[in-house]
Amino acid sequence: MQVVSLRSDAHTDAEPVSGRKSSGVDSAAAMIEIDHVSQRFQTSGKQSHLALSDINLTIEDGAFVSILGPSGCGKSTLLYIVGGFVQPTDGVAKVKGKAITGPGPDRGPVFQEFALFPWKNVLGNVMYGLRQQGVKRAEAEARGRKLLEMVGLKGYENFYPKELSGGMKQRVAIARTLAYDPAVLLMDEPFGALDAHTRTRLQNDLLDIWDRQRKTVLFVTHSVEEAVYLSDKVIVMSRSPGSIKQIVDIDLPRPRKRADLLLDARFQKYIVDIEKMIDDGGKDHL
Amino acid sequence: MTQTRINSVLLGITPIVLFIALWQSLISFGFAPTSLLPPPGAVFGKLAKDFFNGDFLHDIAATLIRLFAGFGIAVVVGVFIGLAAAVSPAINAVVKPLVRVLAPIPKIALYPALLLILGFDHASKITLVTADALFPILLSTYYGASMVEQKLIWSAMAAGTPRWQILFKVVLPAAMPSILTGCRIGLVISCIVVFLAEMITSTDGLGHMLVQAARTFQTVDMFVPLIMISMLGLILNSLLHWLRSYLLRGFPEV
Amino acid sequence: MTVRGVLKTLSPLFACIGLLCVWQIASLRLDTESSPTALEAIKAIPSILGDKGSLLNILDSIRRMAIGLVLAVMFAIPLGLLMGRIKAVAAFFNPLMMIIYPVPKAALMPIIMLWMGVGDVSKILVIFLGVSLPIIYHAFQGSKAVEEKMLWSGAAMGMSAPMRMLRIVLPAALPEILTGCRTGLVLALITMITSEMIARQSGAGNILFNSLDMAQYDTVFAMILIIGAMGIVFDAAFEKLRLSLVRWSQPRDDMPLSFT
Repeated sequence: MQVVSLRSDAHTDAEPVSGRKSSGVDSAAAMIEIDHVSQRFQTSGKQSHLALSDINLTIEDGAFVSILGPSGCGKSTLLYIVGGFVQPTDGVAKVKGKAITGPGPDRGPVFQEFALFPWKNVLGNVMYGLRQQGVKRAEAEARGRKLLEMVGLKGYENFYPKELSGGMKQRVAIARTLAYDPAVLLMDEPFGALDAHTRTRLQNDLLDIWDRQRKTVLFVTHSVEEAVYLSDKVIVMSRSPGSIKQIVDIDLPRPRKRADLLLDARFQKYIVDIEKMIDDGGKDHL
Repeated sequence: MTQTRINSVLLGITPIVLFIALWQSLISFGFAPTSLLPPPGAVFGKLAKDFFNGDFLHDIAATLIRLFAGFGIAVVVGVFIGLAAAVSPAINAVVKPLVRVLAPIPKIALYPALLLILGFDHASKITLVTADALFPILLSTYYGASMVEQKLIWSAMAAGTPRWQILFKVVLPAAMPSILTGCRIGLVISCIVVFLAEMITSTDGLGHMLVQAARTFQTVDMFVPLIMISMLGLILNSLLHWLRSYLLRGFPEV
Repeated sequence: MTVRGVLKTLSPLFACIGLLCVWQIASLRLDTESSPTALEAIKAIPSILGDKGSLLNILDSIRRMAIGLVLAVMFAIPLGLLMGRIKAVAAFFNPLMMIIYPVPKAALMPIIMLWMGVGDVSKILVIFLGVSLPIIYHAFQGSKAVEEKMLWSGAAMGMSAPMRMLRIVLPAALPEILTGCRTGLVLALITMITSEMIARQSGAGNILFNSLDMAQYDTVFAMILIIGAMGIVFDAAFEKLRLSLVRWSQPRDDMPLSFT
């Protein structure tokens, strides 16, 4: 039986790196640096499995970066390392130049499973992070309501998560994370559990929010189309051991319109190229 | 109420009505002498009358005090140890073997020892109730707390919750459905055990009332405390059910 | 096996030794006649098990318990399965079960003795009543949770309704049923001891209380050890059986689950 791990590795930063992003100071400043990071997991007995092998990566402030790859390539693990939930076996991950020792409100996760608190209503979930940061109840409530309005859930404040559809749950989860204003959004296949229609709407809404706030986004996904549509940069990974195969800059104008892009030859070419890359990787290991 | 709902209620009442009808007919047709099986009318009549009897109320109060004290201690101790065992590997290593040894022991067998150590008064009975109700509560707390989704904890940590607060802000509420299931099991056991302890040795309480009636062959009085403990069990169970649906209003139905 | 593995399997044994040590120290500090030390109690065990009368008494208890348990299993599992699959059956029996559940079955002993005497029949009947309810409950829950689509596939393959019950519902609900049986086993032991304590005729529970009345405190504590050991051994044996029957199901933790 798994014992609940409260020590998601080292202590939480008592003094989190400031959540505000230093906009305008140096637009190309590195937000996240990943330096020779490897991750080895013990499997049964003395066997171990190299989930990530010597990853090096720099992500600039305000960039929207997707990580793409076959299942088991360690893309979620990489995200968890940046989140501070998992400590790398080797190497160091840094956020704003400081080594990551644990989770902190400067990096907000959004999970595929939503991970909403079932005992709190929608507003309570969104207010949680603010209250935790010491914001007064009245102010937290006002800001929570505003955020819910932004993600299109005005009127659902007193609903419980179980009463919402999958898409609405993920909207709440996004609002809950945006509430404490993290500099980095860590999105772990956030739309993977949603139907195609809801997925498209949430992608568009996410792009809207990102256009306004320009947070750094690290976005793990299975879908090549989703990665190309959303990102400035797509990191293509391969597995056994998990490593970076190629980094593709997506040079498409913003703001992006799905309807235009679908007909855009450049968009189509990115998708075809990246799918080929992943496919080649797959053949090596079949 | 919908038609199906009414139907199922009617169906549910049927066996109870049949049971009482069978009981009555056994007497009416002379299969059982009233000295062995009193008619249901006499039993329920006596029960109603007894509610104005100070001794009976005193017996109920004595039983309830022991039941609540024992159950309350079991909830506090069980939830505490269960949570601790789920979050601390060191505590887990100590608690697990102890529970494996102590849980399957029929606790009622300890009662003579408790009588010798704690005396014949409340303390020994309360301890027995606690010992019996403790393990279901402890175990379901442990299970609930071990099954808490890791990503709930991560979400709370990312939002800036210090590690020591995670236990009360995430693990405890997330384990609540499981804890309350354990409490329901523990409550039924408490009802049973307090009654048995009172039957074995006591000077008051519902169990004592039954034994007293059995010694003097007052069959009507033997049925009254049995019906009373069943009613108490039902009432307490529905109180817990109500508490459960309030506390778990946000959780999906199982 | 690794050292860790050995330590893990032996940990309940260490727990036993630890508890006995605590008892030993506590009784030495208390130092009253009514609280013998652990060693004194252990020394008294051979004299109980060596005495033909007591040994027969204890074996008699186990025999009654086994009969009650087997009868209950045979009655409770089919009823529980039917309740889980047929709504009307569940609606019929559920309220009755709710009323009977909080009644201590061993407390029916005086009344049943009045009707049936103090013989085996009364005691077996009480054990049967006590054990049936949890098994019915768990079989009910287990069969209610059986995936509807599995039954559809069965029907598509041409299985009749009774066949589906036997071939699909029973195995699918087996893990849950066995959880109920394990609870039933522990309850059977409890009911057995208690009914003997109340009837004061024969059996392990009777020895326990007679020695208390006669102030043979060594015997009291030795009997507690014997009954406790019975509980642990039965539980461990049943767990072995259960694991071999439902190897396919999700591995559960090795702590015992619910008891009632």
